[in-house]
Amino acid sequence: MRLSDAERVSRAIQTLSGRASLDVIVDRLYDLTEGTLELDRATLHRIARGKTQVARAIDSPEECIRLYFALMIVGCEQDVATATIVEEGRAMLAGFIGEPLAALIFRDLEATLPKLADRLTLKEYLEEGLRLWLPK
Amino acid sequence: MAPEMIVPQARAESGTLRSEEARLRAYLADRLHIRTRFAPFSDVRAILVSAPDDAADKGLIVSTETTVAERIYLYVHVAAHVALGHHRPLDTIVEGVPGVVRLERDAHAHGEAERLARAMWWGTNEDLAAPRRVRGSAILRGLLARAPTRSAVRGILLALRAAYYDLRIERALSRTRIAAWLRDALCVTAVVSVAPQLGDA
Repeated sequence: MRLSDAERVSRAIQTLSGRASLDVIVDRLYDLTEGTLELDRATLHRIARGKTQVARAIDSPEECIRLYFALMIVGCEQDVATATIVEEGRAMLAGFIGEPLAALIFRDLEATLPKLADRLTLKEYLEEGLRLWLPK
Repeated sequence: MAPEMIVPQARAESGTLRSEEARLRAYLADRLHIRTRFAPFSDVRAILVSAPDDAADKGLIVSTETTVAERIYLYVHVAAHVALGHHRPLDTIVEGVPGVVRLERDAHAHGEAERLARAMWWGTNEDLAAPRRVRGSAILRGLLARAPTRSAVRGILLALRAAYYDLRIERALSRTRIAAWLRDALCVTAVVSVAPQLGDA
């Protein structure tokens, strides 16, 4: 998988991480994705710092989407503003898999988010979204 | 669906209601691949999250604030949404709380699901319909269709239930057809009381 805009992805990850250290966030991402993320810690760090455009371990859109949901959940946990979570999540996913493939998810997200005013509800929704994308 | 849902004042949740709820939840899981879990939502009643692959599991998160009767209604309503394909290709369905969440954009879809849910509830599909003993009763359905008579029926059934236990006659009557009918009637009345749109003629 080649990131289309490594710098933007890096900025999105850092924004969604709030004030937590990148290492703590990486741990949390592995937790949330139940160990299904193929990316190793070093590559994830490099992506988060905008130091690489290549994430060879990620070879399917499903994995990108899991990372996307997990990062959005991290954004909720770090008390990032809801609008920012959505905007940065979108930038992150678009950077990974490109707009055409992400359009389906964004369309649903844009229709759903206005109905979820409460942060807890948003987080539950994101957790369910992530669960559905976890491999069986 | 949400604007017409009425929150009951007291939670008198019977074993019949609970077993109906469990049966419907199992149906959602087994037949529609919908896994249900609960969360303390304050601004929505339920969210159905789907994946692009229709054969994949779907997730239904239900508010812990809902009563058993509300959940029975929600399950039938969600089954109607799925039957109508409202969750495809990748559409999250949000069931809102009246007056809190604005769902005008989805009003048409919810209206369609309401109509189908009503047909399912009073229909012949054993999996999603009201208990068989009472769903064929035109008298009960007529009484439940309007608020004043619905309220009166509910009051009478609750009074009968109270008498049934207070007089300690449940052991003698528990296996009779009349007791079974009254249990089912109370169950249906409780569900239609929280979702009157199910009872509309």
